[in-house]
Order: sequence, then C-alpha cells, then structure tokens
Amino acid sequence: MLDLLMLAADNPVDHVVNHAPEWGKTAGGLWWWSAHVGTLILAGLLTVITMLFAASKIRTGPESQGAARYTTRNPFAHMIEVILLYLRETTARPLLHGRTDTFMPFLWTVFFFILFNNLLGLVPIMDTFHLVDKIIGQDVLTGLAGSTATQNLFVTAALSIIAAIVINIAGVRELGVGGYLKHLTAGTPVYLWPLMIPIEVMGTLIKPVALALRLFANMTAGHILVAVLFSFAVKGVGMLAGDGGLLGAPISVVSIIAAVAIYFLEIFVAFLQAFVFMFLTTVFISQLAHHDEHEHHDEHGHEHAHA
Amino acid sequence: MKKFAFALASLSLSSAALAAPESGEKAGVLPTMLQGLVPMIVSLVVFGLVFAVLAVKVWPVIVKALNERESKIRSEIESAEMARQQAKAALDQYERALAEARAEAQRELEKAKSLQAAQLAELKAKNDVAIAMERDKAMREIDASKKLAIQEIYAQGAALSTAVAGRILQRELNPADYQRLVDEAVAGLGASKN
Repeated sequence: MLDLLMLAADNPVDHVVNHAPEWGKTAGGLWWWSAHVGTLILAGLLTVITMLFAASKIRTGPESQGAARYTTRNPFAHMIEVILLYLRETTARPLLHGRTDTFMPFLWTVFFFILFNNLLGLVPIMDTFHLVDKIIGQDVLTGLAGSTATQNLFVTAALSIIAAIVINIAGVRELGVGGYLKHLTAGTPVYLWPLMIPIEVMGTLIKPVALALRLFANMTAGHILVAVLFSFAVKGVGMLAGDGGLLGAPISVVSIIAAVAIYFLEIFVAFLQAFVFMFLTTVFISQLAHHDEHEHHDEHGHEHAHA
Repeated sequence: MKKFAFALASLSLSSAALAAPESGEKAGVLPTMLQGLVPMIVSLVVFGLVFAVLAVKVWPVIVKALNERESKIRSEIESAEMARQQAKAALDQYERALAEARAEAQRELEKAKSLQAAQLAELKAKNDVAIAMERDKAMREIDASKKLAIQEIYAQGAALSTAVAGRILQRELNPADYQRLVDEAVAGLGASKN
C-alpha cells in the first residue's frame, strides 16, 4: 500500500494522459494500440448497445396494446427519449427549421458518442487495469483501455473534421456551389475580396479547430484537477505515515471532499461538453446555410435604422 | 443510494489506483503524431461505424416512434378540441332551445292568463246581464202581482162597501146587525176569493 502511495506522488497528469502497452507499439514508435483506442471502441459499442436498447423500448408497440403502444416502456429509455426530444425540438429545430430531421441522426450520434466517451473517462478503467497488473506482477492490461479519449486532441480533431465536413457539405447543398463561394466574400464589394475571402476561409477552418480545442481543453482540465486533488489526498496519507505528522489528515480529508465534488461536477461537464459540441455544430450548419438570409435581414435592419 | 455507492466505489478505485501507470509508455497532454495518429483514425472509423449502425437500426425506429407519438398526440388534441367544440355547440343549442321553450311557455302562460281573464270578464258580464234581466223580470212580476192584488183589494173593498151600504139602506141596523153584516161581507169576500 505504501508503495502505491509513494508512486502516487508522481505527476498526477500521468493518471490522465494516454498510455500504450508495450505490445501496442511498433518498432518505429507508432502507437497502434493505446488506452484511448480501447476506450473509443468501448464507447462505440456502448453507444450502439444502449441506443439499440432504447430504440427497442421507444418503438411504437403493436396495435393490440391500444393507447399504451405509444408509451416508452422503460425508465432509462424514457430518459434517452427526453434527451433526444430536447436536442431535436429545443436545440436543433429553432436553428435548422425544415432541415432538422435531415441532420438529427448525425447530431444525435455526435452527442451520444462524445457523451459515452466523456463518461467512460470518469470510470477508472486504466487505473484498475494498472492495479491488476501490479497485483499479478505482469504488464498486460495497462493501456488496454481507459482514460478519456475526448481529452486526446487527435480524437477531438477527428470528431471536428467530421463536423467540418458535414457543416460545409450542408452549406454547399443549401446554397449551391455558387452560393457557397459567394458566402466566402461575405457580400462585400469586389475590391474587398482579397481581404474577406482569406478571412472567411480562416473562419471556416477555425470553427472545427475551436470545436476540437474546446472539448479537449475542458475534458483535460477537469480530469487533471480530479487527479491533482486525489494526489493531494494520497500525499496527506503519506505524510501521516511518514514524518509529516498530523498535518496530513486535514489535507487528505479536504482533498477527498473537493475531489468528490469535482468528480460530480465532471459528470455534469461530460453532458455539457457533449451538448456544446453538438450545439455548436448545429449553429455552424445553420450559420453557413443562412448566411445570405442573415445579411438580407441585416440590410433591412440597417435600412429601418437609417429610416 | 446506488449512485452514492457507485460514486464511492469509483472513488475508492481511483484512490487505490492512484499509483500512476508508469509501465508502458505514456503520452503527454499533447500527444505526438505517432501517439495520436491511430486514435484519430480509430475515432473516424468508430464514429463512422456507430453512425452507420445507428442510422440504419436506431434513428429511423426512434424518429418513426416520436413522429407517430407526436401525430397521435396532435390528433388526440384535435379530436378533443373538436369534441369540446361540438359539446359547446350542443350546449349552446340546448340552452337556446331551453330559453326559447321558457319564453314560449311564458308566452303561453301569459296568453292563457289573458284568455282566462277575458273569459272571466265575458262570463261575468253575461251573468250580470242575466241577473239583471232576472231581477227586472222578478221586479216586474212583483209589481204586476202587487198591482193585481191592490186592484182586487180595491174591487173587494168596493163590493163590500156597496154591500154594506145596500144593507144599511134597507134597514135600521143595531150593533148586532152591523156585526153580522160585516161578518157576512167578510165571509162573502173570502168565498168569492176562493
């Protein structure tokens, strides 16, 4: 136990970052398997299994059930349904209007895939594997799965690339190629195009970058905070056991209470960041598609203002 | 309680496993390309697969159920609204009919009352006329009888006086004779009356 406590005195970031097992690396140093890969696959499986279960309970029942055929037959599926409806009716429809049903499958998938990844990051899978490895004296499980995949910038970048592709394809479909290119001029006179087009292109690229960085930063910061607080608690216990005296007790107690509080906050953040990613993707889709319309409204607004 | 137990279990696991996994190789907070390339590709592939499965097996089922539920609720609300309007129309019609019936009944009552009053007045007038006629008739008969009786009295008186005077003229009468004459005359008057 003391060994574990002493080991905990290392950098708390080590508990948060991705790990690769020895067998998961090539000779060239490429990580072909790491904890985040395992977590991504696990999150994907959980997302599919959970949503299949929810769909089986939400689906309209046989006519023999009468009016009861329209009710959801499981509390958990009911919770999923409430989330789905909230995302569709309150978040997406006010922005996408008639195109809501087209994009909802993608947006729902984005939300639940990120949510399951975020939540899996709160389950100490990697640390448990490491503990088992310690007990059995081998190094086979550490790095198999665990940690939060959405705090890996490459993972959030991949999700943002997918979002960017959908956003821009939606823009081209809505505006047409000509309209999409015209959107890059922001409706400015021709002599301003050399300035505006680069700015608009940068804006198009920055949006997914912002999506990736926001998710990565929020998930990383919270998990590092939890790890730091837990490391304080363990250090306090180490002080009690060593020559630090009784000062270790209050440090441990306060740190554990704070860590538990932050842990619960992280559960909320897991939902919030999944929602933010999905919501911003929706906003970007709607902005690109309705750019000219907004300008048109703005022009009218200016005319009214001048009048 | 279960959630609390789960949180405690997670906490204990986290605490117990706080030994940093120093075995294997760890990435930094910002992984290198060699560390992050495969997770990136796996992200794309897993997300694509998840989206494909959900798009085929889950979202159509859920969207269909939600839309059916929505249309069911909408149709039920519309039906309820229609039923409410029909009930309101029926109630209004009933109330109008009731008000009309009450007004009609009131009119009939007033009409019956006025008819009754007219009939009463007419009957009373007829009765008054009949009574007056009967009274007049009775009065006339009384007057006629009275006159007749007086005439008879006068006639009888005249006859009696004539008889008495004749007898006086035929002889000297003493009181006894006089009494006997009166009695005879009265008796004669009664006989003649019978």
